[in-house]
Amino acid sequence: MLDAIKDVVRKSSIHVCIVNCGGCNGCDVECVALLSPRYDLEQFGIYVHNNPREADVLLLTGAVTEQWKDNLKRIYDKAPEPKIAVAVGNCPISGDVFAQEGGHVNAPASNFIPVAAEIPGCPPRPNEILEAILAVGPQAIADRGREQK
Amino acid sequence: MIVPIGPIHPALKEPIRLKLQTEGERVVKAELEYGYVHRGIEKIMEGKTWQKAIYLSERVCGICSYEHTQTFAETIEQISDVDVPLRAQFLRVITNELDRIQSHLLGNSTFFKSMDHETLFMRVLEMREYAMDSIELLTGNRVNMGWNVVGGVRMDADERHFEPILKNLEIIENEFERTRALFAEGPALALRCKGIGVMTKKEAIKGRAVGPIGRASGIKEDYRVGHYTYDDHFDFKVIRRTEGDNYARTLTRFDEIPESISLIRQAIENIPEGEVRTPVDLKSGYAMRQNEAPRGEVTYMIETNGPLIKNISIRTPSIANMDSCAKYMIRDVPTVADAVATYATSDPCVACAERVAITNEAGKTTIKYLDEVI
Repeated sequence: MLDAIKDVVRKSSIHVCIVNCGGCNGCDVECVALLSPRYDLEQFGIYVHNNPREADVLLLTGAVTEQWKDNLKRIYDKAPEPKIAVAVGNCPISGDVFAQEGGHVNAPASNFIPVAAEIPGCPPRPNEILEAILAVGPQAIADRGREQK
Repeated sequence: MIVPIGPIHPALKEPIRLKLQTEGERVVKAELEYGYVHRGIEKIMEGKTWQKAIYLSERVCGICSYEHTQTFAETIEQISDVDVPLRAQFLRVITNELDRIQSHLLGNSTFFKSMDHETLFMRVLEMREYAMDSIELLTGNRVNMGWNVVGGVRMDADERHFEPILKNLEIIENEFERTRALFAEGPALALRCKGIGVMTKKEAIKGRAVGPIGRASGIKEDYRVGHYTYDDHFDFKVIRRTEGDNYARTLTRFDEIPESISLIRQAIENIPEGEVRTPVDLKSGYAMRQNEAPRGEVTYMIETNGPLIKNISIRTPSIANMDSCAKYMIRDVPTVADAVATYATSDPCVACAERVAITNEAGKTTIKYLDEVI
């Protein structure tokens, strides 16, 4: 009974923190575009505030640069359970163009923290990001909440 | 007391560390710590053909991605001594100005968000979506357009798309007056901006501030003046203010939007018929080109060896603007909230800023601007 109530609460209120771990900003501006009245993220109960200490969903963008190797895990640990990480764009999935000779990146991000969903694209369109968060987010958070007990 | 902000913080969109030295509520001094987004783009580009390098240059910065490819293409064209067809030049102007509109609107909306003015933040973002629609109509993509190639543009624009683009510009223009007045004449917001984060003209020159940030302090430079397409075929006014505070910087960005809209109208009206791409015979050599990106001048210095790039260095406007922001703007600011808002008015783009990493013997990595290294 208590679990069911918790599931409902967790599913209907998702707090998002964008973690740019060395991207070109392209994915970040598309995440900001989600806040605009056209997409209106908040009507789905999603709130973006960029504070890892309150986040349920960490949106990872960027190809994990040298400075982020240790910091990524630290940011992830700061977020309270239940939490999931979603990789936005090609960079956290494969490193995109930066994963070549001479590049200082350590992609994929899943080497450092568990990633629940991946949205490919350079950058993905705002509605794709929204669709992915809504498709994976609520259930994954509820499941993780039950696991954590 | 030192208040550290970042790298991930509600007030910041990008990873950077802002160290504010405070006395009570007053912020006396600020210091920036870079190095979170260094990817080594210039090193990757070495030894590659331009087809691969232009793809990378687009990903130097995601917000002003367009101007990077144009400057890259123009530098290679200068080395190879090629003239781009006039139609391609006009199409480049249209895309460049659309990109400027969306970047300025994004910069201002970020500032309003940092001032906690949700209404203006939403309105400005809504206006920006129409600019993004126009970009998508013209090029097929929203952010990384892949529009420029050496010798012209990738494809010809569909004439049917000009009508909806003009309609989108009209929507932006209709909204614009009201939104600008809300900011410029609204007492609550304007009073919080006037006289905060003042940078005089002398300091702006000393801090190498460029673009709208420099122009708000009275600097004249605009690299569109002197560009061959703009000089020969277009008519526009360089927006300048003299106050050099948060208010002036935000209004400079606002006032450049009607100028950009008029430039796009001129381009669509007078666009000539003809080819959009010319074959290029790549030569070896060195060239340097400057262009006006939304945030200021962007410089490409390229040395080529036949079709391959031997050496490249990119100078972006953000690093100069952010440095002068930390040094001159955030100095004796009344509150920490105002210091963060002042940082937001300098339109920071951290992804642009980080080109060169220097590791000293102790293994401590610092990111430096190229001028300081040479």
